[in-house]
Amino acid sequence: MSLEETKWFISPEDDQKITDVFSSLRLRYQNYKDPWGFNLELCEKALRTLMPLYRSYFKVRVFGKENVQDHPYLVVGNHTGQIPLDGMLVTMAFALDIAPPRILRAMVERFLAQLPFLGDLTAQTGSILGDRANCEYLIDHGESILVFPEGVRGISKNTPDYYKLRNFSQGFYRIALQKKTPILPICIIGAEEMFPLVFHAKKIASMLKLPSLPISANLIPLPSPIDIYIGKEISIPQHLNAESSDKEIKENVFHIENTIKKMIVQGLANRRPFFDEIRRPVSKFLIKEFRSKQSP
Amino acid sequence: MSEKKKILIIGIAGGLAQMTARLILNEHPEWEILGIDSRDISKVPPLKGLTSLELKYSRGNFENLFRTHQFEVVYHLGRISHSSNTHNILAKRIELSVMGTNRILELCERSQVKKVIILSTFHVYGALPDNSIFLKEDAPLRASIRHPELRDVVEMDQICTNWMWKNQNTVSTIVLRPCNIIGTQIHNAMTRFLAGPIALSPADYNPFFQFIHEFDMAHILYKVLKDVPTGTYNVAGSDFISLRDALKVVGTKGIPFPIVLAGGLNSALKRFNIDVPEYLLDYLKFSCLISNHELKKHIGPNFLRFSINEALELIKLR
Repeated sequence: MSLEETKWFISPEDDQKITDVFSSLRLRYQNYKDPWGFNLELCEKALRTLMPLYRSYFKVRVFGKENVQDHPYLVVGNHTGQIPLDGMLVTMAFALDIAPPRILRAMVERFLAQLPFLGDLTAQTGSILGDRANCEYLIDHGESILVFPEGVRGISKNTPDYYKLRNFSQGFYRIALQKKTPILPICIIGAEEMFPLVFHAKKIASMLKLPSLPISANLIPLPSPIDIYIGKEISIPQHLNAESSDKEIKENVFHIENTIKKMIVQGLANRRPFFDEIRRPVSKFLIKEFRSKQSP
Repeated sequence: MSEKKKILIIGIAGGLAQMTARLILNEHPEWEILGIDSRDISKVPPLKGLTSLELKYSRGNFENLFRTHQFEVVYHLGRISHSSNTHNILAKRIELSVMGTNRILELCERSQVKKVIILSTFHVYGALPDNSIFLKEDAPLRASIRHPELRDVVEMDQICTNWMWKNQNTVSTIVLRPCNIIGTQIHNAMTRFLAGPIALSPADYNPFFQFIHEFDMAHILYKVLKDVPTGTYNVAGSDFISLRDALKVVGTKGIPFPIVLAGGLNSALKRFNIDVPEYLLDYLKFSCLISNHELKKHIGPNFLRFSINEALELIKLR
């Protein structure tokens, strides 16, 4: 799909914004060659194509933009939804609504890297295998990494566990310590409701060698309004290093978990009602119909 | 290094060994090189200072060579390749690569050779979906996890590195693990794949590769003789290229083909003995990039004459 063909999807303002964002990203990446195949042109096309989802379908709002500075981060958040669209929306938010724009490099599960077509596509749009050496290489090159330390456990929750954080793994914090990279906590509200869970097809998942296979009633995501909250950066304590004990690491990881939990509580309190997104347009349409019939 | 030296090059029928011999003799015409190979050596070009012999590594007269010549340096470039259909004769490969190497090292130790340079391969790391970026020399050798038929490659490398540390006080040993060596005189699978009129280009994967031109590899084989201490070293440039781009640079027409189906196709071709080694299909799916950090410490950052694009363009001359 050419850039021209995608233009009808998006407003002229967003179109101009994407053009500006990618002009600045091209300057930033002009001397960088990515060993995973990160493809800026493809990212631009993908962003233009997905823009209506971001703006009109999920109506993404981003809070705490002022907390992001111009240096690499480990962006750490809660993982939600049965299909991890949250990663895509956060990446779009950091490209479109944060200054200076950046494409977050999302850490993905091993199984994704080996899938035909999908593995290549995710690599081209910036994802990398969740591996310490890979992350360190990217941080050295000024990139910010998106991490969901809950892993697959985060997206395969049962309905009563929505917005309940699973225990964070500690690997990301050791990377942050190794590279002295600050943590940027984020929380995503609204993505849990995109695919209401019916059941976990554990046997099929194990047959297909998938880490999880949650089955949802709907094939396309419900239009749940999405809020992304960006917290204040958490700097790395100077007295710790990548070889520090598990106990010391755990305390700090626990602090990050708690910070995100508080953000979730605040986010849930301020969220937009889910059914408003369906009710409002339907009501508008009915009112319009009613008025047109009333008028002579 | 100006005194007269006697050098043994094992695998002289190969293009890389011949280039290395030529480089050494250009720099040191007073040195003597004995080149041996178990393959036909009739195509080895005559060179002043080079004597070539067709010989099996396991035979008694091979042992005699070490007794009659006081070799100071031994180049072991005679690893049997997996690129042809030799994968059907694993026993032969094990005999030549593993048993042969063991014997060579034993003879080197016995005859007090001062320097041993061994050509292994980056294939020992294996092309796996969870490979880290730029594998260092201490990365696990996982090639035979998915492909047990590669165990001779891994085993040979391990025999060499174990022997290297065991004898580090008496022999300076260098094990080189180069990335894909390409060139007009090299007849390996990758050069054939790239330089053919058409090539299957994976539609579902686009792995990254490192390439080194045969001349640069020969130059490094010469350089490690003087400048590099005992150890295992990856050999690759700092640059890398995706397979699709590499085919474009060479000018080979890539036919998009889903590699997920290639396994089945390959099994069918096996009946006619025209299949490709299965492990190579993994390299068309997953990247296996290696770090050159260790080698750069000793021979400097700009040790290659040809960039990756130039190396690829040069194989068009085949």
